[in-house]
Amino acid sequence: MQAEEKSLTYWVDTFTEDLFSWAFQKVSDIELAKDLVQDTFLAASEKIDSFKGDSSPKTWLFSILNHKIIDFYRKKGNKHVSLDSSSFTNFFTDDGSWQSNKQPENWDEEDGHLLDNSDFQRILQKCIELLPDKWNSSIKLKYLMNKNSNDICQELDITSSNYWQIMHRAKLQLRNCIDVSWFKAG
Amino acid sequence: MKKIMHILFLSCFKATELIEKNFHIKLSITEKLQLKMHKIMCKACTNYEKHSILIEDSLNLPIHKHESSINFEEFKVKITEKINNLD
Repeated sequence: MQAEEKSLTYWVDTFTEDLFSWAFQKVSDIELAKDLVQDTFLAASEKIDSFKGDSSPKTWLFSILNHKIIDFYRKKGNKHVSLDSSSFTNFFTDDGSWQSNKQPENWDEEDGHLLDNSDFQRILQKCIELLPDKWNSSIKLKYLMNKNSNDICQELDITSSNYWQIMHRAKLQLRNCIDVSWFKAG
Repeated sequence: MKKIMHILFLSCFKATELIEKNFHIKLSITEKLQLKMHKIMCKACTNYEKHSILIEDSLNLPIHKHESSINFEEFKVKITEKINNLD
């Protein structure tokens, strides 16, 4: 036990920065990322007996952290969100054509510089946060956790056709939000 | 006329759905062809695809910010204290 306690303190000392950095990339919230890292170490200390040393301590801690992050999104995504027709009629007419005022127009800056623009990234993050929870979680699981669609469907308990609808509608909203907040602002 | 066009070359709603699907799984040859024909005729969906690719690329970028503002030493002490309180 003595040796294990020692090693856990050593792990806190050694891996906290990396774990935080990872968690922060996934949730983009400092306090939440800190909570997740702390919970990871608490969980590790509780089940340290099950750590056999088959993997490195770092790998083991990261797998605990990933479970915590996915759990967070799963809880968030499980709040009921209906795919109501308003998200469709917001953008399209009954026969599936663009609403005339929602037709995507040419964006001025499409040469890749936007990707380095931190203001643009901030707007994008803001627009993601404005999405309904289930859509927001789908986007984050997909892009931030690099999950494949089957895993996401399982974790959010949705069917694959529901998943396509969610991704499609989330993207429509996201594009519109960026259009309004970035390209048509000021 | 519009109806026939939609059956042959998709509605904008269906076209944008295929554009999204295309990021994740391979489209069938029919779907590819329909989408291609649709985009030739539809400027709005062509723009949509460009925007969508840009958003896709942005979403795939890692985010690095605020990390420097964290006092890690303090944070580590706090975690260690919590762990010790568990026992």
